[in-house]
Amino acid sequence: MLVKLVDLFQFLSVVLRAGTLVFQSVLLGGVLFVLWTARPSGDASEESIARIQASSWNLLRLSAVGLAVVQLLYLYVDSAVLMASAGIGIDRVVGANFFISGSIVLVAALLTAIVASGSKTVARWALPVLTVVIMAASVMTNHAASRLEGRPLLIALSCIHELATGFWIGGLPFLVLALFRAKDLDTRWYITERFSRMALISVGFLVLSGTIMSVLYIGSWRAVVGTAYGVMVGAKAVMLGALLLLGGVNFLLLRNASKDEVMPRLRRLIEAELGIGITVILTAASLTSQPPAVDQPEETVTMQQIYQRVKPTVPRLNYKFVPETQGDAPRAVNVDGVPLTTRLINNSIESESNHHWMGLVVLAMGLLALLARTGKAPWAEFWPLLLIGIAIFIFLLADTECWPVGWKSVGACWADPEVFQHRMAGLVCVGFAVFELRVRKQKKENDPWAMVFPLMCALGGAVLLTHQHAISNVKENLLVELSHVPMGVIAVFAGWARWLELRLPEKDRAIPSWIWPACFVLIGAGLLNYREM
Amino acid sequence: MLTALSRRTLLVLIVLVVAGATQVSWAHAILRESTPALKSTVQGPDVDITMRFNVRIDGSRSRVLLVAPDGSTSTLTLASQSKPDILQTRATGLKPGAYKVQWKVLASDGHMSNGEIPFTVK
Repeated sequence: MLVKLVDLFQFLSVVLRAGTLVFQSVLLGGVLFVLWTARPSGDASEESIARIQASSWNLLRLSAVGLAVVQLLYLYVDSAVLMASAGIGIDRVVGANFFISGSIVLVAALLTAIVASGSKTVARWALPVLTVVIMAASVMTNHAASRLEGRPLLIALSCIHELATGFWIGGLPFLVLALFRAKDLDTRWYITERFSRMALISVGFLVLSGTIMSVLYIGSWRAVVGTAYGVMVGAKAVMLGALLLLGGVNFLLLRNASKDEVMPRLRRLIEAELGIGITVILTAASLTSQPPAVDQPEETVTMQQIYQRVKPTVPRLNYKFVPETQGDAPRAVNVDGVPLTTRLINNSIESESNHHWMGLVVLAMGLLALLARTGKAPWAEFWPLLLIGIAIFIFLLADTECWPVGWKSVGACWADPEVFQHRMAGLVCVGFAVFELRVRKQKKENDPWAMVFPLMCALGGAVLLTHQHAISNVKENLLVELSHVPMGVIAVFAGWARWLELRLPEKDRAIPSWIWPACFVLIGAGLLNYREM
Repeated sequence: MLTALSRRTLLVLIVLVVAGATQVSWAHAILRESTPALKSTVQGPDVDITMRFNVRIDGSRSRVLLVAPDGSTSTLTLASQSKPDILQTRATGLKPGAYKVQWKVLASDGHMSNGEIPFTVK
């Protein structure tokens, strides 16, 4: 029981770590936004700036309170894990590094909320001080703090990286809010231009610090694809590339197009930039829960081992299990060539078959969505019905020990946590199908229900990228991640491309409307080639 | 803006998907080397135990247990750290048999990790 609780708390610890990083980034971005970006100017309307300032201070207060709450929970959960694992009392926990630095962040966040509610003159000098305190304390729970070599350099690089992330990604919610609150085009233009200039500088520092840290934490080209840490950093880099693309488009639009033409487009691109940006921060939280690649040279998977696992093969669409006694017949082996037990082989057969059936359905969904996009096959618009097919598959076939294909009764199956989760996911699929068919039938502009599907796609991708990583079976887990991480990234892109298709002005929807079905095709193909042995 | 109903629906969906899709496991500090080495045989009855990790360890908030051949466990007292990545202790009066050292350590960045070192005393 205690072990299960510790496991649950350790999982919560990673979720809360992600929460602290997101709130911390928003807080940092908010401080810069209220003190510099949204300053009054002759180029902007006084009334609009006042409206922006008021809402930005509110959002800053909210992010500070959010950080304090999440930090408090993080301290509680980590303290509980330490007390249960090391068998020590709270009196000894309070001296731990994480407790001291977490408490400092908590107090500084509360002070930020208080300062942001009081005199703005005091806030102008107090907020930068509090920002430095939060940064310094926060970085002490990073990889950098526990390194044996190059610690000061890594701590400095982490500070720069987190600060730049905050100023850019963390500032985006304030920009979205400002563009909503501003009443006139000139103010929107003024704010976006100032933010864009600051974001450009932040990107420079972010990429530079990120590159140096990647070299120091990954250590070799082989480890980029041969370790989970390297793969996750690669995922971050790919998403950063997409962000830079969006940011670059925004930057060029600001300089080469007229204000009234560009602003509606810009606002929607910034929303997608924010969504992908938050996903990058969540991925970073996941990275902090695993050892750097440079510490696991003996656990690095070779290119040959990767090729053996990812080379295209015929999908397994049947559940042909291996009998307990198969004599001297050749057995499936793991990544290191060690023969697998019958139970492991059969578990893998079940998992692979499930993935391949899902892949077939997702591939069909993507192809039908592409077909519908051509406008020549209106019937293909009903592709969300395939989601109901997934639900039926989950309920009838996915759990081979369950009724109607297995020996377990209906009641016993619902009581199994894993089966329960699968079936809940099945019900979610039915929900999606209903949502999406309704949205496609009604074709209403700005229909809030239409946002559910893209947001769930993006969230699903983010969850794939945020989960924790195993320290045992490191190589096998890396090979699983090699298939799941790209699918996570593609799902994030699919979600935000669909979001843009729905939100952009009608004449700008062509590109995103092709991107997301293509992403579905890629995810389907990835699932069809998924293997565990 | 989303309606109140759709916001609630969205929240429920998010919780379901996160609950269904999140994998749980845990990792951080790695044992680089140890004495006794993994699955090695050592001479008893007194055994010095040294563990070197990949990161700085908070020794005063870490715990090392010895699991005897009969399954009973005892907590080993850690010596004060000579280096930030090393933990040392000593098990005394060990009879021949298969033992396990179970370690649960706190890294300086606040992450707990655990593992075991099986070894045999001859």
